[in-house]
Amino acid sequence: MPRSRRSDMRRMGALPLVALAWAMSATAANGPAVGKFGLGKPATSAEIAGWDIDVRPDGAGLPKGRGSVAQGQDIYDARCASCHGTFGESNSYLQIAGGVGTLASDQPIRTTGSKLNHATTLFDYIRRAMPSDNPQSLAADEVYALTAYVLNLNDILPADAALDADSLPKVKMPNRDGFTTAHGFLRRDGKPDTANVACMVNCTTEVRLSSEMPAYALGVHGDLAEQRRATVAIEGLKTTGAVPDAPKPAAGLDSAKRLGCLACHGVDGSGVGPAFRDVAARYRGDGSPSHVPDAEARLLAKVKTGGSGVWGPVPMPGQPQVAEADARAVIQWILSGAR
Amino acid sequence: MADPMKIRANVVGDTTEVKVLMSHEMETGQRKDAQGKTIPAWHIQTVNATWNGKTVLSAQWGPAVAKNPFLSFKFKGGAKGDKVQITWTDTRGDTRTDEATIG
Repeated sequence: MPRSRRSDMRRMGALPLVALAWAMSATAANGPAVGKFGLGKPATSAEIAGWDIDVRPDGAGLPKGRGSVAQGQDIYDARCASCHGTFGESNSYLQIAGGVGTLASDQPIRTTGSKLNHATTLFDYIRRAMPSDNPQSLAADEVYALTAYVLNLNDILPADAALDADSLPKVKMPNRDGFTTAHGFLRRDGKPDTANVACMVNCTTEVRLSSEMPAYALGVHGDLAEQRRATVAIEGLKTTGAVPDAPKPAAGLDSAKRLGCLACHGVDGSGVGPAFRDVAARYRGDGSPSHVPDAEARLLAKVKTGGSGVWGPVPMPGQPQVAEADARAVIQWILSGAR
Repeated sequence: MADPMKIRANVVGDTTEVKVLMSHEMETGQRKDAQGKTIPAWHIQTVNATWNGKTVLSAQWGPAVAKNPFLSFKFKGGAKGDKVQITWTDTRGDTRTDEATIG
């Protein structure tokens, strides 16, 4: 209880006793507090049963009940048609009928009938979330009836059909094997959810915060810590002193530049000839699966006498003028990964 | 033969409201395919609705009507159990007639 409240009570004389008694009874009614913080209470089995309403593709979780297409039509016209349209034809994501076979086209129409792979999902959704103004207000029979009617609107069930816990899982949806999630859900052209993959092995156990600045920015504005009013200890990088040297380009790359190799070859991009990293991947001299024995000698021969056909139609002319030591330096750099 | 129409007719007071969902491509004749060739027009041209044999709606449609058209209209009269019949004819000469009972 906050301090101000307690002092108020002292001032009010007899009243606090009543208030205190009420507060104690309220605590007792809510059951014992649990856990580290003394908050909350264990969920009762009735509460868990109220939340545990999921229905699985094989029908596990379906309640008892039965509903026909005709019954569903009456409920649908009263509770659903104002948003979804009399025939489920309403625009945008409210459309729940039609569109079968359009998912692979350039104008996919994602409706209940065209996208769902299990009819039980439709049941679960109606039971959990519909009608939008009063979710979970429908009885099991009504949900079965609505499921049957929506399937009838999609020409999946005949008009005289009825559904129960036995027959619903046996309904085969047109998109049984084509369900995808790589698209927006509430809009036809919306963005998909981010596909996050939980880390299971070699995961980072500890998050470490650190300050970073790109090397070229260090020291540009002097000591930033000195320029701030130091009310508390200032943490982070020291920005004084000389700008640290940028990492030196590899000697092999220097030689390649000097010899003019880069006129045709890129390091990691396109060019007339193959990129050095592609060459590295093909001739990897490290004993990996793509290892080529004598890679260095082979490439040396290519440099001296030229070659063609390995990387496409453009031949590489021989370069006999290149000193062997220079060529070896470049080749060794390439085989080490061209970094 | 095209897919059947979905028709719903309900009488409220002295008025009958009819809702129809037709299944038709409704190609405008102005779109081009991937090769740049014009896709020929193919859409519903006339729609006729009769109640117990008497015409209550007659419409001429052009290329501006969307694919799988939804049509809703009301007419004076009608009673539970009466028949409402809808017929469309498209530019290829195809025609389809479906019937519903007023509920």
